[in-house]
Amino acid sequence: MNKTVNINLAGIFFHIDEDAYLKLQRYLEAIKRSFTDSQGRSEIISDIEARIAELFNERVQNNKEVIRIKEVDEVISIMGQPEDYLVDDEIFEDEPQTSYKRKTSSAKKLFRDIDNSYIGGVSSGLGHYFGIDAIWVRLAWIILFSAAGTGVLLYILLWVLVPEAKTTAEKIIMTGEPVTISNIEKKIKDGFENVTDVAKNVTDSVGAAAKNVSDSVSNAAKNVDFQKQSSRIKSSSKTFFDTLGEVIMFFFKVFAKFIGVILMFAGSIAIIFLIIALFSLGVFNVIHIPGLDLVDVLNAGNTPIWLVSLFIFFSVGIPLFFLFYLGLKILINNLKSIGNIAKFTLLGLWVISTIGLVVIGIRQASEHTFNERVITKHELNITASDTLKVKMAENDLYMNHRYRSNAFKVLNNENGEKTIYRSDIRIIVKSTNDSLAKIGIEKSADGSNYEKAIERAKNISYDYAFNGNELLLDSYLSTLSENKFSDQEIVVILYLPEGSIVNFSNSTKSFLNYRTYDGNIVSSSDANHYLKIIDGGITCLDCPVKEPYKVDIDVHDNKSDVKIDSTGLEIKDEDVNIKVNGKGVTGEDKSVKVEIDSDGINIKSKDN
Amino acid sequence: MKIENTKAQMRKGVLEFCILSVLKDDDAYVAEILGTLKDAKLLVVEGTIYPLLTRLKNAGLLNYRWEESTSGPPRKYYGLTETGKLFLKELNTTWSELQNAVNIVTSQKTTKK
Repeated sequence: MNKTVNINLAGIFFHIDEDAYLKLQRYLEAIKRSFTDSQGRSEIISDIEARIAELFNERVQNNKEVIRIKEVDEVISIMGQPEDYLVDDEIFEDEPQTSYKRKTSSAKKLFRDIDNSYIGGVSSGLGHYFGIDAIWVRLAWIILFSAAGTGVLLYILLWVLVPEAKTTAEKIIMTGEPVTISNIEKKIKDGFENVTDVAKNVTDSVGAAAKNVSDSVSNAAKNVDFQKQSSRIKSSSKTFFDTLGEVIMFFFKVFAKFIGVILMFAGSIAIIFLIIALFSLGVFNVIHIPGLDLVDVLNAGNTPIWLVSLFIFFSVGIPLFFLFYLGLKILINNLKSIGNIAKFTLLGLWVISTIGLVVIGIRQASEHTFNERVITKHELNITASDTLKVKMAENDLYMNHRYRSNAFKVLNNENGEKTIYRSDIRIIVKSTNDSLAKIGIEKSADGSNYEKAIERAKNISYDYAFNGNELLLDSYLSTLSENKFSDQEIVVILYLPEGSIVNFSNSTKSFLNYRTYDGNIVSSSDANHYLKIIDGGITCLDCPVKEPYKVDIDVHDNKSDVKIDSTGLEIKDEDVNIKVNGKGVTGEDKSVKVEIDSDGINIKSKDN
Repeated sequence: MKIENTKAQMRKGVLEFCILSVLKDDDAYVAEILGTLKDAKLLVVEGTIYPLLTRLKNAGLLNYRWEESTSGPPRKYYGLTETGKLFLKELNTTWSELQNAVNIVTSQKTTKK
């Protein structure tokens, strides 16, 4: 005995055994999945159903006869397996390549829900995926958009990469329901009802409402029926090991998704920061940002900044993008591929920009291959009998004058031109046999070749002033920023005649070097003193004599003025006597005696 | 490489041409087209024809009309459109050329052996 089902196939009524019905249903479902909407799926299916109805009709003599599994098998063998319906993609290339051989699964997948979309359907798709209302996702987007607009990038990426739910099967997968014929039917019916609802509201609402009710009642009845059956099949086929495997897979998936989330977030945040960095570098000519002058000036190779920043952006950003993509791919298993063209373009860009960076790096390094110097010498009207005072000049613009340092600053000079200021100035003092003193200014700079280095060295401005016996040295060197920073240095060499006296003020202290450095005879510790130049050295005229102060103390000689023994200390003079011993402290001279002991302080006058 | 796949591919390649040829003189409904093709052993299973018919119809080479049937659901009678006739003409020339070419190639092979 078999239960039968009544079906309507292409307008013809059939009695069909339940098992035969299920087989036919699976068969039609499989065929349906081998087409897409663009191929005219609904039309093909209705044609096929009509043909199956015809074939059944041939096999059924009268209306009372029931279609059994044998007839269904026959019809299937005539019609062919779902694979036979597939049109070869190689032969028909003008058709979009959309053959779906996917297994029926109840796994939820991320699609864009274009039926309920505001922009790209990303939010409602995410809502389906996470099982929350789309409104919360939209709220999250609004927060992300307003927070520095970082969400915009993420939204666009998801829009591009997540496929939209085109077919009914995809729409069902999106919501996580298993793809069964009943669900598809329900979905399609829902869609029709939505459309007809609108129409009905305009025209005849009363009769339509009645129809609607009956529709949904029968629909609900069908759903219950199908669900019962599918659960029965499931429970019989599911074994203990299946369940165990599912549990293990579940934990594995959770772990993988966790890693995916981390990768995605790390990647996207890094990309966002990189974009901000690129943007701020790219527009630095328009908006003046102080720190960026340094970048420009350091760029001795004269490579365009935008090129460097673009190279950095690509060579760092592309790996980050792939990291992000990998994370997204772990999270969303039906993610659209970005395509081989895009992948190879990105790879190519990365290789080019990395090579570019290396080349720029080498160019930058080659800027320091030559270090050349330009020396100018002038006589100073200082003879052996004169005293020279050396001071550092102060500068209003460049306040770092007190200490010599390798750092530099970019400031506008009095003409408003961007100028590099640096205080890398060394003072070297040497003795000379000549009658007149001399000053030598040695300017040096780096460059990729001899001419460049010389050119840069010549472009250094450095001044000193000589008034009377006072030498005023600039505490900084300067050069226009178009000359770039390339280790510009100044060495001031003072050749002083033997016998002359020199005084370095406190301000020169940090510019003076160690003695013996390059034949230098005045070190920073000699500042603030009057120094007499001798052959290859100096003598300090006003330095405190550091000879030790000698006092002879013989503790065993009672006649000595200072006596230290086991009782204490006694200092004697003709008039004065000071004693420190176990009794206390006593001090005495011709007129007064002071005693400090356990009784207190006793002061006695001897005048009387 | 499976011989079945190659065979199926060969058949599928000429299937569109054959469908159009069947409809050359008279309109026919699916069962009639299928009958002709199955008699000629060009088709093993019927399913293959449906996507092809829809494709040809969507390409404007075929059109159809409905006709009531006494013994089953209403039937779709397919016929060639004007573009379909031109298309068929071109395919006919191509086919005779191809036939000729294949004949030459295959007979050459056998004589060499």
